[in-house]
Amino acid sequence: MGVIDVTGLSKTFGETVAVDDLNFEVERGEIFGYLGPNGAGKTTTIRTLLGFLSPTSGTASVLGADVRDAKALREARRRIGYLPGELSFSESVTGRSFLEYQGDLKGAARLDEMTDLFDPPLDRKIRGYSSGNRQMLGLIQTFMHDPDLVIMDEPTSGLDPLKQEVLNDFLREERSAGTTIFFSSHVLGEVRRACDRVGIIRDGALVALEDVESLLRKGGKRVRVHTDEPLREDDLDLEGVVEFEQVGTVTSFTFTGDYNELLASLSAYSLVDMEIDEPPLEEIFMHYYGGNND
Amino acid sequence: MLTVMKYEARQRIRGTLTLLVVVSFYLFLLVYMFPSIEASGDAIQQYAESLPDAFQSAFAIDSITTIGGFLAAEVYQFIWVLMLGLYVTYLGGGAVADDIESGRIDTLLATPISRVRIVVEKYLAMCVPILAINLLMPVVVLLAVLSIGESLPVLDVVMLHVLSVPYLLVAAGIGLLLSVFFDRADIPQRVGLGVLFGLFTLDTVTQGTDIEWIGAVSPTRYYDPAAIIVDSEYDIAGGLILVAAALGLLIASAEWFRRRDV
Repeated sequence: MGVIDVTGLSKTFGETVAVDDLNFEVERGEIFGYLGPNGAGKTTTIRTLLGFLSPTSGTASVLGADVRDAKALREARRRIGYLPGELSFSESVTGRSFLEYQGDLKGAARLDEMTDLFDPPLDRKIRGYSSGNRQMLGLIQTFMHDPDLVIMDEPTSGLDPLKQEVLNDFLREERSAGTTIFFSSHVLGEVRRACDRVGIIRDGALVALEDVESLLRKGGKRVRVHTDEPLREDDLDLEGVVEFEQVGTVTSFTFTGDYNELLASLSAYSLVDMEIDEPPLEEIFMHYYGGNND
Repeated sequence: MLTVMKYEARQRIRGTLTLLVVVSFYLFLLVYMFPSIEASGDAIQQYAESLPDAFQSAFAIDSITTIGGFLAAEVYQFIWVLMLGLYVTYLGGGAVADDIESGRIDTLLATPISRVRIVVEKYLAMCVPILAINLLMPVVVLLAVLSIGESLPVLDVVMLHVLSVPYLLVAAGIGLLLSVFFDRADIPQRVGLGVLFGLFTLDTVTQGTDIEWIGAVSPTRYYDPAAIIVDSEYDIAGGLILVAAALGLLIASAEWFRRRDV
């Protein structure tokens, strides 16, 4: 039995189907990325796992507790850390009193360790916090009671790149110590850097469930080249070129093939500039997981 | 225990103190006006008696030339029953909905605390301003009255405040019940103000009419400051009815919040 076990989970709000017959399992000690565009149903899934929303049909269990069983889930929450996507605090209290409050409610075994790692100005009122400081305060409260399962909704938003790296390192250490991490994001690069396995959700349905390596292989890279002479599509007689677009001497396409072959064919041109980047998430969906945005 | 209550109550301290200062200031201002009202005696009394019955009972102005009657009319019927009632209803209206609207509720719901306890403790936190102001105001009132050379029976003043607590608890309960139904704070707050003002009006306009019984749904029916301070009549049964109503509102709020999606 997984740490998170989702079986046939659906949630509708009136006529709107937010998540539709989800099935997946998250194993102990893995970092599971829950990837999807905004509005795909990530937050609805998370809120159902925590018992904020009750499932319309199907169910899920979290650390062995059925999410429909309020009492069992309440006990399980002692061992769950949660970072909401839209963090909000009482503005008139200091960071320290917020953490004392949270500590009284769920424990603070690792508070000192966490405040060393993430260091918002604890004696200042939260009203004066930057978004990065708010996010750090949120991360501290997520881990302060030494949870076995951590659920994070878009955890790196607002963090500067340095702190993002601190977070990623910390998450990897936690995973090695046996903590399970469920991590939602709409940014592929973020999931690529942090996660072991990825579930992709789109329009409320799980469209793929695989390890990060194979996702990236399928996803390919977005290549943008600026050449002296316009590049002709026929010249790029390569496997794995899609989404070919060209404006004058600037060409861009998504490439999923062999990089050596790509460089060999480009060597016939004089390059002015070249960029290779993560493909946009929507593109992965369009080409590899079921067609158009309908 | 009572972690949520303490955290929330601490954030209400400043508001409570402000309220206390404002009400005390208003009270002193009016009390210092009293000697001139008393001096004009009959004229004012005649004016009061010439007003429509409903108006007389709404603001309890029938014995306005005694210090007790004056306070009942100018301070208690208006400030305590109406304004303070509206204020705590408004507080209640924000108690849960404001946390849901801002998203603050998420970090609380994620802890091992039951939803019922959240609602109960939030309600208890609202009792802090209610109790504090009713503990301190009797002292302020007696001091103000003494300072103009008048006097009032201490027991009447104390009972005036003791019996106002159940009334204000009901007002807060009305706000709380509305608060657990909505995701936006301004809706229960506005609806709450409307409901309490509506009940106050219903009680007032039906008094002395054939349909007086309709006004019995209003909490204002069970707390009559003028009867306490002018006639030393304490409506203990009314107070108990209000306590039961407050409890009912709290239970209904907790039960609804337990079931709803957040």
